[in-house]
Amino acid sequence: MNKTYQKKHELWLHILFASFAINDETIKSKLYDFSQIAFRHMKWLGSDLLNDGENYNYDRSMLLMKQENVFDVVNALKSEVEAMQSIYPNTPFGERAKTDDAYLLEYLRQVLENENNNKEVTAFNMQRKWPEADLDAAQTDALTLFLFEESYKEYELILVYAYMQARTDKTLHFDVFQDLIDESHFHLKSFGNMMAKLGILALPRELHEMTYVVKDLEKFVKDGIAEEEAAKEMCKELSEAINEPKLSRFFDFINYQESYHIELMKKLL
Amino acid sequence: MLENVKMPEGINKDVMEHLMYPKNYGKLEEPTCVGVAMDEKTGEYVIFYTLLEGNVIKDVKFATNGCQDTVVVGSMYTDMIKGETTEYANKALGLIAKKLGSDMTRQQEICAEMVLNGFVASMMNLKNIQNGKNEEMHVLKMKESCEVEEEK
Repeated sequence: MNKTYQKKHELWLHILFASFAINDETIKSKLYDFSQIAFRHMKWLGSDLLNDGENYNYDRSMLLMKQENVFDVVNALKSEVEAMQSIYPNTPFGERAKTDDAYLLEYLRQVLENENNNKEVTAFNMQRKWPEADLDAAQTDALTLFLFEESYKEYELILVYAYMQARTDKTLHFDVFQDLIDESHFHLKSFGNMMAKLGILALPRELHEMTYVVKDLEKFVKDGIAEEEAAKEMCKELSEAINEPKLSRFFDFINYQESYHIELMKKLL
Repeated sequence: MLENVKMPEGINKDVMEHLMYPKNYGKLEEPTCVGVAMDEKTGEYVIFYTLLEGNVIKDVKFATNGCQDTVVVGSMYTDMIKGETTEYANKALGLIAKKLGSDMTRQQEICAEMVLNGFVASMMNLKNIQNGKNEEMHVLKMKESCEVEEEK
């Protein structure tokens, strides 16, 4: 399977999780934008591979190191971006990716030049203290499990929909998959940042091909709708269990989004 | 050792570690045998890769699209049996199942059973291969789905 694709997938996650880990809103936002660019790189690279009659998978071999300060996060990311430079293909996509990464490296250098940026990273400290409200142990446990469950699911959905989008020749399906991918990016961003606030930031586990190689679209969509229903129910239950106004409003908001995902998915049937 | 296994009844530090960094997660390139436990109703599965040397489990990995209970039990169970004999793994199955019965909701229990059935399926795959059958992996369908109504 294609190693460049695997490395690009890993780099997307490195950038994305660096964005989640860092508290500074400016750096966080900038890195998140770069992570979205890296995700588009994955999409274009995957498309080029399929056009050339090759294939790719979602295998990974990466760890998310527990870093304690911003410079450690940025330096680790810088090394990953630099290592990627030599393995891009000699194609228009490769040239584009190299110039994007060069600009990211320049930004990372700027961050490292300012000592004031080197704040503590609390995303991995496992303290599980929600900074915006006083949650008791049961509320914190409920929130923790929800975040692990749903961050994995959103990552899974992004990759499964992207895999199917790359292989469909129907415009309607392509558009629906794109909407669902965009929605899941937003959810993953929300949940990832919440995990970091709780000090429990961790990579979603790797996807096995049994999860993303879909042989029966209709069954996949029906199962997906049932899963969205379950996620809605989980949001509702969590909202009730946590009983904290700001968080409850957030989970209600996510709940209504899941309802619309079901409508989008029905278009695939 | 088995008496001290902490199951995911609450989120203690051990469980957090298994949630954040699941042990033995992924796939083996050249396993001796592969088993799958499948919940046909929800589409959830556990795939279990076992590498044996004689009757010693030299390496083991699992993967799942299931819930966090499945992940935590899979992480704990594979950690327990790696480097042990298949007899020990079977004994551990019984002890874990017994322990789960009193500590977990029915839904969590079924998720855990799925992990254990993944291992059982891999042993069935081994037996079939030894009997000359050309079987890539052995699939066991779950008798009960984890999509159960919880008692209020």
